[in-house]
Amino acid sequence: MTIHRFAHADAASLQEVVAALDETCLPLGGGTDLVAMMKAGLMAPERLVNLKTLPDHHGVRPGDGGWRIGALMTLADLAADPAVAEAPALASLVEAVLDSASPQLRTMATLGGNLLQRPRCWYFRNPEVPCWRKGGRRCFAFRGENKYHTLLGGGPCYAPHPSDPAVALLALGAAVRLSGPAGDRTLALDDFYVTPTRDAQRADGYHPVTVLAPDEVLVEVLIPGSAANARSAYVKLMERGVWDFALVSVAVNLALSDAGQVAAARVALGGVAAVPWRATEAEEALLGGSLTPEAIDRAAEAVVAGTRPLEHNAYKVDQLKAALRQALRRWTAD
Amino acid sequence: MPTIRRTKVEFEGRIEEREVIVEEEHVEGWTQDTQMRWVGRPLSRVDGVARVTGKAGYTHDVHLPGMLIGRFLRAKQPHARITGIDSRRAAALPGVHLIWHRFNLPPVAHLDGRELFGEELAYEGAEVAFVVGRDARAVGDALGAIEVEVEPLPFAPNLAAAAAEDGPAVLVGEDNWITPDGDIYARGSVEAGLREADVVVDLTFTTPTAAHCCMETHGSAADWEGDLLTVWHSTQSVFGTRSSLADALHLPMDKVRVISNYIGGGFGSKWGAEAFTLLAALAARELGRPVKAVLDREEEHLVAGYRPGSRQRVRLGATKDGALTLIEQEAEVTTGAYGGGGPVIGGPAKDLYLCPNVRTVVRAARANTDGARAFRAPGYVEGTFALESTLDALAHKLEMDPLDLRMKNYADESPSRGEPYTYKGLQRAYEMGAARFGWPPQADAPAAGPWRRGYGMASQIWGGGGGPPANAIVKLSPDGTAEVLVGVQDIGTGTKTVLAQVAAEELGLSLDAVRCVVGDSLPAPFGPGSGGSVTLASAAPAVRSACREALRQLIALAAIMLELEGADPDAFAVEAGDIVYRADPEKRLPLTQVTAKMGNYMIVSKGARGPNPDDKAINTFGAHFVEVAVNVETGQVRVERVVAAHDIGRVVNPLTATSQVYGGVLMGVGFATTEARVIDPDTGLQLTANLEDYKVPVMVDCPEIEVLFVDVADTAANSVGSKGLGEPPIIPTAAAIGNAIFDAVGVRVTDLPATPDRLLALLAKEKTQ
Amino acid sequence: MALNFRGPDAVPLTLQINGEAHQVLVEPRRTLLSVLREELGLTGTKRGCGQGQCGACTVILDGETAYACLTLAIECEGREIVTIEGIAQGDALHPVQAAFIQHDGYQCGFCTPGQVVSAVALLAHTPQPSEAEIRAGMAGNICRCGAYPAIIRSVRAAAETMAEQEG
Repeated sequence: MTIHRFAHADAASLQEVVAALDETCLPLGGGTDLVAMMKAGLMAPERLVNLKTLPDHHGVRPGDGGWRIGALMTLADLAADPAVAEAPALASLVEAVLDSASPQLRTMATLGGNLLQRPRCWYFRNPEVPCWRKGGRRCFAFRGENKYHTLLGGGPCYAPHPSDPAVALLALGAAVRLSGPAGDRTLALDDFYVTPTRDAQRADGYHPVTVLAPDEVLVEVLIPGSAANARSAYVKLMERGVWDFALVSVAVNLALSDAGQVAAARVALGGVAAVPWRATEAEEALLGGSLTPEAIDRAAEAVVAGTRPLEHNAYKVDQLKAALRQALRRWTAD
Repeated sequence: MPTIRRTKVEFEGRIEEREVIVEEEHVEGWTQDTQMRWVGRPLSRVDGVARVTGKAGYTHDVHLPGMLIGRFLRAKQPHARITGIDSRRAAALPGVHLIWHRFNLPPVAHLDGRELFGEELAYEGAEVAFVVGRDARAVGDALGAIEVEVEPLPFAPNLAAAAAEDGPAVLVGEDNWITPDGDIYARGSVEAGLREADVVVDLTFTTPTAAHCCMETHGSAADWEGDLLTVWHSTQSVFGTRSSLADALHLPMDKVRVISNYIGGGFGSKWGAEAFTLLAALAARELGRPVKAVLDREEEHLVAGYRPGSRQRVRLGATKDGALTLIEQEAEVTTGAYGGGGPVIGGPAKDLYLCPNVRTVVRAARANTDGARAFRAPGYVEGTFALESTLDALAHKLEMDPLDLRMKNYADESPSRGEPYTYKGLQRAYEMGAARFGWPPQADAPAAGPWRRGYGMASQIWGGGGGPPANAIVKLSPDGTAEVLVGVQDIGTGTKTVLAQVAAEELGLSLDAVRCVVGDSLPAPFGPGSGGSVTLASAAPAVRSACREALRQLIALAAIMLELEGADPDAFAVEAGDIVYRADPEKRLPLTQVTAKMGNYMIVSKGARGPNPDDKAINTFGAHFVEVAVNVETGQVRVERVVAAHDIGRVVNPLTATSQVYGGVLMGVGFATTEARVIDPDTGLQLTANLEDYKVPVMVDCPEIEVLFVDVADTAANSVGSKGLGEPPIIPTAAAIGNAIFDAVGVRVTDLPATPDRLLALLAKEKTQ
Repeated sequence: MALNFRGPDAVPLTLQINGEAHQVLVEPRRTLLSVLREELGLTGTKRGCGQGQCGACTVILDGETAYACLTLAIECEGREIVTIEGIAQGDALHPVQAAFIQHDGYQCGFCTPGQVVSAVALLAHTPQPSEAEIRAGMAGNICRCGAYPAIIRSVRAAAETMAEQEG
């Protein structure tokens, strides 16, 4: 519980930040994850750069018919921002933000930091457990206490991605803009998160959750205009009423024709894979039809396609179906 | 003249015979009709301002000039043998003052018969070294720099492993079973009970290991002034701490002062001196500076105890009309590497219902974890869950209303003791609860969505009668203010406030003229630890007794002033702040006018708790009625409404008593729906050593709770007529929730907590059958 | 232009707490909680978990509640910090504090400073909260004693008192 010693600087410009960042110098947003990781002795950077003092990326602006959200916005500010709160298309994002953590954590945590969270897996967070994600040989959850672990995507790490907004944003077709020494790059969220099998280990042994390079900063989240004509919903199932990570969550983004036909559909899942997960089978099941009870049943069956439960988490299969039904039923009264 | 008598005192399900010195000033018991000015009123706490402004000083907040910080390095594996420790690098770090460990032992390395810094580390969190330094950073850096060599040993993290044939030894050279034959209670015979039964229900249950999660983690601070040791300790027992510390340090008891002014929760886990208390005291003596040692949250989960998880089997037999012929309850628990015999899980089974044939067994085994501790109604919470769930299943099988079945088997006298109760208000609690809740529940309209609604109830028995010894001292000053010194402690229940109410009532003073001092062993006479729901029922009669003695002195003074010198003290009464001569009420004097006569002097009196009545059982009772909603698609359970009706004798303060019931109910909700300590079977490490993975309810999870009290003075129990309330309200909640879930969706929850994974599995199984 | 790194040794900070400026000399690794409690003797803010999982250390930073245990003190320079010690005006209790006393919105009292601070901030943003808003707004403060029903009542009562004082 004692944090190691480190040096600290307030950032004034993005250029100086990306020039300084490396494996030993990390950016700090709200600190709700990184400070906790340091307290647990799981990370020990020599230097921290406070991003919150940067002049930009603290607000929402319009862009390409959609929205550009500064990654340094706190979750509380994001949910309260009129441009977001009053956009029906972003209902899922607001729900996902308000379902996250606690009021205090939402005023501290930044959107960027939330998207970059490390797994909350109880093996990963235990410094005594040398799990694969931390550079060890195996996932202890695979044959261990895995009721909170993943159904989709396989190993070698079975810890679910903990972010709620990431799931909503994936269904909204969002992208992230990353800034590095060589300039900016924009990546769809589908390409931003990396499944555990793909990427190389970092110098500290950790297997990364995203493609963000050590000297890059996530500066902006881009929600395309195509989402603006759609409606969206986020359903999160927890054990406690609030302030709990998702057992499962489902984000849906649908465009309905005047005749009530599904013209476009994006469905994303949380709590069930190491990355926010696109449920393309469910999307296909929904496309072209209307939201009849039968169609909802078909989508609910499709949403669990490919799931492979571990010993203690088969219930999540049922929960996924239920969460999708709950989300879709919101629009069946229309 | 003091005399010695034997009296029976029930503590957490076990009856003890105690020899007590009886020196109680005779006090006429308050009856149901006694007119009260302070007792029975919903008064705000006397220390409220300190609590809401942050000024209330807890052990965590103790800061003394020159104070150093102490902390343990702890075992990082479930079972190992220490082969070497190198602390040289750590000792050379700045701000490090002292390091003690196996190869550099402190002057005392034993506590309560156990070796500290032994060779064998039998659980994760076992003490490996103690570091004292300038501040938390210096100590933390040093802890990280100590090199420990261990040889891992095979371990048994749970009951299955500990009980397995050829399973690993939890403690080298010791049997894994602590009580292989079990603690057994029996009356009648199981065979007879089965023979006479028309219907038998036989169910097995598991309950989770539950963590106390005191918001203030355990801790102590120690300071020496010459040979006098002062210890601030977050404890439920200042006198228990004093004796265990004096014993460990070989100090005279009068050289140890224990202070526990504000305590951030205990729930049974904070008793005597602990390893950190002893080491803080030793280090403070060694270094000549005060030392504080408090646990962090992870340590709190690793070494500060838990309610042991249980495996249980309950068999009930009954005739067609619902008369119980058999109650059989078998339970197995693990109580840690150095644990004891386990809680009284069979307590409710032996006493809650009239039944001729009862058998209960509790077997306890070791496991490579820290030791179990008492946790709010130990044994009774887990025992009542299994018993009252099975009774509900029996009612269902008999097609009887569950409440009717309970009334059918109502015990008018104590079934295990064969003695009458001083008072039993359970029937009244049933009636009050049923009326408020609306029982029997009306059938709901068929649900349209996935949520199903259900209703359930369960009953509760507990001790809480208290008893001797407990003392009080009253100091009455000339300005008419009184200090009441009692050696108990206010662990958040409002003890300071309710004892002041009792004193103000007896003395005829206004409440703000009475100050009650608790939580300090130096000024106060002996008081019991706050466990077993005994504090009020033990201490309040002692306070009355001391106040009565003070009044007698005052009355003697008033008699002189009224020119009635030599009159019998009982010829006077105290009415509305006046001392009144009963025979001639015109002859009266304001009490403060009498005290003013004393000059700069005070009246000092003492009082003691008298014995409990012979041949009578003192118990508390209650019933909870619960409404739940269950989502058949997601498996989520929402506890929406709880009506809690309790018989605890006279309620001294309905405001603080209601708060205690809220707390018990909510802890019961957590136990039933979200809380479970998880030990990884593979590594033996605890996975829930924090407040994220160990899920205590938050405000959103709190049901609507309605609290009802029978509020009939138990005049035969003690002179105040009150019994304890700390534990009763957690006891029936989980069973009532389980029974409501059955009512909602037709599946019986036999494994707690009732989390979505379990509900969905039960619902799926039900569907296929 | 380069970043101005301070530390890892102790650096001087000026913290604006309850309307007063305080100078401290602390390492960058120090949390606001440890500086409040250990350097400034402001022990009303409690350490329940140190991991942002209980709410006992809730303080107000620039009008918003935060967990002091996950907040680095070095990042609080220039910010307005309010702790439990700054809620009452001298001897005059804040209506939230008075309501907690009247409705017994506590038991052991250890989480109470955090609860009071959260309630004060909640009512500043939402002067007339519904019960659902109280429950959601206070969800980041655990009370193991289970005083929640009395806390809800206290927050409601305080809202009424404050509305009367306003009107």
